[in-house]
Amino acid sequence: MIKKLLIIVLIATGMYSCTDDLNTEPVVEQSLDNLLASDPDAALGILARLYGGFVLHGTGVPGSGDQEADIAGDDPGETVWFRSMWNMQELTTDIVKNRWGDGGLDPLTTATGWVPTNKFFGYIYNRSYFNIAQVNNFILDVQKAGVENAEQFVAEARFIRALTYYYLMDMFGGVVKVTEADGVTGVLKAKETRADIFKFVEEELLAIEEVIPANNDYGRANKAAVYMVLAKIYLNAEVYTGTPQYDKALTYSEKVITASGFSLDADYQSIFQGDNYMASEIIFPLIGDRTSVQSFGNSTYLTNASLGDTTMPIGDFGNSEGWFGHRCTPALYSLFGDLSTTGDGRALFWTSGHNYEMTDYKVWEDGYPTTKFQNAYASGSSVESRFSDTDIPLFRLSDAYLMYAEAHLQGGGGTVDEALGYVNALRERAYGNTIGNIDSGELTLDFIIDERARELYYEGHRRQDLIRFGLFTGSDYVWPWKGNVAEGASIPSHYNVFPFPLEALQANPLLEQNLGYPN
Amino acid sequence: MKTIANSLLFFLFFAPASLLGQTMLSGMVTEQSTSLPLPGVNVLVKGTTTGTATDFDGKYTIEVNAGDVLLFSFIGYQSQEVIYSGQTELNIVMAEDAAQLSEVVVIGYGSTSKKDATGAVELLKAEDLNKGAIVSADQMINGKSTGVRIVNSGGQPDANPNIRIRGGSSLSGNNSPLIVIDGIPLSNISPAGQANPLTLVNPNDIESFSILKDASSTAIYGSRASNGVIIITTKSGSKGAPKFNLSSSVQVGTLPDKIDVFNSGTYSDFINALYPDSSGLLGVNGTIYNTDWQEEIYRTSMSVDNNFSARANLFEKVPFRASFGHSGITGILKESQLNRYTASLNIAPEFLDNHLKVTINAKGIATEKDQPDEGAIGSALELNPTQPVFDPNGGKFNGYYQLTDADGNVGPTNALAKLKQRERNEDADRILGNLELNYKFHWLPELRAIVNMGLDYSESDINEFYLQKAIDAYTVYEGLEIFNNFSPNYEETQLKRDHTLDGYLSYTKNLEGFVTKVDAQAGYSYQNFYSEGIKFPTNTDNGFRQPSEVIRYANELNLQSFFGRLNLDLKDRYLLTASLRADGSSLFSEDKRWGYFPAFAFAWKLDEEGFLSDSNWVDTLKMRIGWGLTGQQDITGTAGYYPYTALYVDGDPTVSYIFGNQAYTTYRANVYNPDLTWEKTKTLNVGVDFELFENILSGNVDYYIRETKDLLAEVPQPEGALKNRFVSNVGNTESEGVELALQLKPITTDDFSLEINGNLAFNETYVTDLENIEQYSSGGGIGRGTGVNILQTAVGQRGRAFWLYEQVYNSNGDPIADAFVDKNGDGVISDSDRVFTPVDPKWTYGFGTSIFYKNLDFSANFRGQLGGHIYDANLLNKGYSDVAIPTNDTGYIKNALNLFDGTTYNGFQEKQSDLQALSDFYLSDATFLRLDNITLGYKLENFISKNLSLRLYASVNNVFVITDYKGLDPENFDGIEQSPYARPRTYTFGVNLDF
Repeated sequence: MIKKLLIIVLIATGMYSCTDDLNTEPVVEQSLDNLLASDPDAALGILARLYGGFVLHGTGVPGSGDQEADIAGDDPGETVWFRSMWNMQELTTDIVKNRWGDGGLDPLTTATGWVPTNKFFGYIYNRSYFNIAQVNNFILDVQKAGVENAEQFVAEARFIRALTYYYLMDMFGGVVKVTEADGVTGVLKAKETRADIFKFVEEELLAIEEVIPANNDYGRANKAAVYMVLAKIYLNAEVYTGTPQYDKALTYSEKVITASGFSLDADYQSIFQGDNYMASEIIFPLIGDRTSVQSFGNSTYLTNASLGDTTMPIGDFGNSEGWFGHRCTPALYSLFGDLSTTGDGRALFWTSGHNYEMTDYKVWEDGYPTTKFQNAYASGSSVESRFSDTDIPLFRLSDAYLMYAEAHLQGGGGTVDEALGYVNALRERAYGNTIGNIDSGELTLDFIIDERARELYYEGHRRQDLIRFGLFTGSDYVWPWKGNVAEGASIPSHYNVFPFPLEALQANPLLEQNLGYPN
Repeated sequence: MKTIANSLLFFLFFAPASLLGQTMLSGMVTEQSTSLPLPGVNVLVKGTTTGTATDFDGKYTIEVNAGDVLLFSFIGYQSQEVIYSGQTELNIVMAEDAAQLSEVVVIGYGSTSKKDATGAVELLKAEDLNKGAIVSADQMINGKSTGVRIVNSGGQPDANPNIRIRGGSSLSGNNSPLIVIDGIPLSNISPAGQANPLTLVNPNDIESFSILKDASSTAIYGSRASNGVIIITTKSGSKGAPKFNLSSSVQVGTLPDKIDVFNSGTYSDFINALYPDSSGLLGVNGTIYNTDWQEEIYRTSMSVDNNFSARANLFEKVPFRASFGHSGITGILKESQLNRYTASLNIAPEFLDNHLKVTINAKGIATEKDQPDEGAIGSALELNPTQPVFDPNGGKFNGYYQLTDADGNVGPTNALAKLKQRERNEDADRILGNLELNYKFHWLPELRAIVNMGLDYSESDINEFYLQKAIDAYTVYEGLEIFNNFSPNYEETQLKRDHTLDGYLSYTKNLEGFVTKVDAQAGYSYQNFYSEGIKFPTNTDNGFRQPSEVIRYANELNLQSFFGRLNLDLKDRYLLTASLRADGSSLFSEDKRWGYFPAFAFAWKLDEEGFLSDSNWVDTLKMRIGWGLTGQQDITGTAGYYPYTALYVDGDPTVSYIFGNQAYTTYRANVYNPDLTWEKTKTLNVGVDFELFENILSGNVDYYIRETKDLLAEVPQPEGALKNRFVSNVGNTESEGVELALQLKPITTDDFSLEINGNLAFNETYVTDLENIEQYSSGGGIGRGTGVNILQTAVGQRGRAFWLYEQVYNSNGDPIADAFVDKNGDGVISDSDRVFTPVDPKWTYGFGTSIFYKNLDFSANFRGQLGGHIYDANLLNKGYSDVAIPTNDTGYIKNALNLFDGTTYNGFQEKQSDLQALSDFYLSDATFLRLDNITLGYKLENFISKNLSLRLYASVNNVFVITDYKGLDPENFDGIEQSPYARPRTYTFGVNLDF
């Protein structure tokens, strides 16, 4: 028996060296150290992924069998951050309606029946926290690895995180705050108040303001982008915190306008076309490229879904696919007056074969699609493609002009001449002459909210603007299909924020559902 | 029992004689049929601890007293008792005990006899198995073993079998049982191109299956044993004269049933009556064709199966078996074909005076599969039956008729063209070999050292391309017609290499006294699973197909274990087993890597007790109780191979990001969880084995409860995690089950025998805790875009459950769209009104009979389930009349389920909302009874010559199904029927020649 035991021990020790084999080493996926050793641009590549987090679906070929999506969801292309954010901010408003109706899109389009199981709430929520966790991980890893330019990289990452929290705060109100201090494997935390998140976003942006360069590579954060987000949160401060901060909104709008080298483009349409990387007024773009930055959730979503080849020559807009999805509503295009005679060059609608009235939003021909975003080039010819080359101007100078004017009208300071000058600069570009210019008497808040629609429609701002003006919920302002009625109807005030998605409530029992929504 | 009692009396009677003095007795033991000496035979003076064993020449010497009873025993042979009456030499001839030999149960690192097994172990021998059109091992045992549910994925020649023993207890871990072939545990992943892991073994080579169900028996396999173990033992060489077997069969497969869509005539009536505006879209240019698209894609298939095997004793000392087989299996879906070539070799020479037994097993399998585009099945259901298969004008698609719109874009693809115009060849070559050294120590024959080394190696190659003028390769781009058939559409190569090594010591000794037998093993096990591959996908952008970024993968899983087991027989009637295994898995971090899995079992052979030994109706009666802990670590399906490590994965060039003018490769930090550790399952099993009335009735009953904790489940992750879902150790499941197996042999005579067997199993697995989570979506798409899933995992519910609203019906019994029962009565229809309904049945059963009359044999085997549910996605997506009419002015009309009675369509008119899709209206009970196979055979002994025997047989598989389900087939593993590859009905004619 003793001998037997001895042999067991001998065999056991003889084999013990093999237990090293339990430390298997990946070959395709790479550890941080291996990655930094194998690619000199590795840190930039990780940073590129953080920016890409707003428009990319994953690491595989979009639409292929192996998409390797970033988040678990249904169709990876449908979950992309920008697409999800845009669905929230535009489809729910007077600007645009979608006719597909698949799995939860109708409730957005009609602003009714919002329930935590709607996958679209899950998409934006999961995408946002995916971005945040990637940033947190990057901050930890960059510091660990001692990369060059670490300070600026970290500052840019914090910008991306602050930007993501800003949108979360805008859509959901108070949310759970996780930073690099919480690690990257998930924590159970209660949500903070909307004002706390406001404070966090503000502090983060102020903290990185100095580190972020005034001029950075196109596609990366610059000082003006930081100012822009600050201006946005101050402009909406009353909604977020209960206390208005229009003075700061004006200050930061002005900083965007004056303290940077951005200038208005001469041609409005060119800001939204396939070669808009040359545009002079885009402060912070989300990149699209037919070859290198392919996505079903970047500008491709705006161009392809707004086209249908039964009524439109889709090739003329540089596209090889039309998805028969979005059409604007009369509530938007009526703001331009008679479309056949309007001198406003921003009225970029396809009317042929379409009905003015949106009797049934599920009928493609009801309502006019917009051709504002298109893949055709402003200069020279382009080849049709499935994926869009167009960059999304998430922030552009014109917005700052209108924010200045609004902040001024709200008592934020500045001068009426400057405010009027900014507004008329936009109108002169739109009309090609001064015919559309307004005088100081016409410069009112009512004018501003309409002008924001005319200038910034389809760019992902509308829901926020309507809420700030108190027009989103209730019956003060109705638009086609609001409240799931063709002529528009009231919706309840708790719709000013979205419900937390079911999956988030399941994953985090400390997360409390927003008021008015079922758990 | 009587003999034992008699010998005891005898012993007592002669006891005083032992005082007379001791003598040395010697002799030789030989084997009856070969007259060769038998080494290792136990020779024991009954009632004492005096014993010895025969040496290599079969010789023994033992000290005896007159009147002693000598007991000669050897596993597989009939024991003999001889009273010593003063002989100087006592030679014994031992005969094989056929019954006992066949009852050897392989239990992992050893074997036992059925009557000494302490766990819930089932032995299935060749004669117990299903017959007929059998192409893989799973088909042999389907319905034959209680508590084992096998639901194959459909009618494909190598359909994935989906085996569940006792229901499976994991949520995201692998729920398939461990499969061990000749001692080599297989990887859970099949090579590319071989969908069914059990295709590996030629069914004709299989000697027996041992199915280990409870933890006390599986725990010795530790890490991979939570879902039971299926041990397959292949046939080995013989010691007698050479024997040859030739078997050959022809199989004819037919389509037993179709999904009830309109035929040409009824479709025309339906369109003309309800959609007269679309009447112009019937037929082509006014000619109405009569096309049954389901008939077009299916066929009557002819398959062949040929096998040859030889068993011999090479050089009169090396048992040897070799076999070759070829199966040409043709699927009933056109172009679906599997060619399989198998070869196996088994030799078992012995060295060092027969102390070293070397067993070499080698199995080679080569498969060549033609995998057609199964999308054709869905197409066939929606294509217009009034249009032709072939274009009367020839057309541009090689004669196939195809609808195109004004711009030349194609509509729904011609289903037959889909099959005929795309080739996908999946070739895989695989070798499974093992070398076992079994050394019996010269100085201690009770002790053996065993080393078993295995290699499972495969290479696979997949190649997919479109033929000339293929519709699916056709696009119109900027007015240009393009056929993308000039290069492969998809290619893949894979290499798999799995190494296993077991080394252990085994000590077995029969004793007299309180402890009558000791059987102990201790050892080490090493398993390494490696696969690497490269995929070459293509994508079509702007009309032209081009290669995408290649996808590479290299995956390695390493498992190592130390194990020990002790079996004790006490007084020949109490059996004790204790085992312990320590397992390490490379899927967990160093701190969390090792799991310890103990098990205990106790069995009581009541038939050996005095109070039953005189019973003339109890032959065997054994009670068993076992408890054990087993582990689960296989989460590679959901979490990959490196789930605890922080890693980056690079993006394809198509998903780069541009700074300035430069595109940068993007690197994503992958989600990981350093806290992952073993999922553990505790099982308590109580069972009774019995043989009554001289074996007329035998069987077993088992009851078990099972609790799994630290469940590995892919669950929603809280804020801060790198992905919204990942695998965590959360929560518990609890299972309870009862299993009953009965065998009745009312008649057993030389000319006539009748056997009836049946089994019934109950299993319920509930999710009892998910830590913070109440429920989460577990998929279940129903062909409704991407968001509509109907399966949930929820606390308090069965492991896989539908989550649906309860439909409200009008007074005519028709469903009212979007109207559901307000279950909680809060006046609002919301998710809280949705009801959970289990996918899996509570009860599964099987029964069969076999009859021999002279040279005739007959068998029939039934199986089925009671309960369980199936969702009919075709009723949802094709069961409304508007599905027929064109949308977006496409100019196509589509087929629908035939619910038209000549005037009205007895289904919804409009496409129903995604909300209505969540209705239990589409759910059916999936109870069914299937006659799996029926066989009639006739055997001709001494045919032509004396040594030749011939058996002819005919069988039918999948004879009928009885069910209330209105769709195609209620037997569906996922519980959702969309466009299933129909299971064929197969007629087999075969011949079996032994010589």
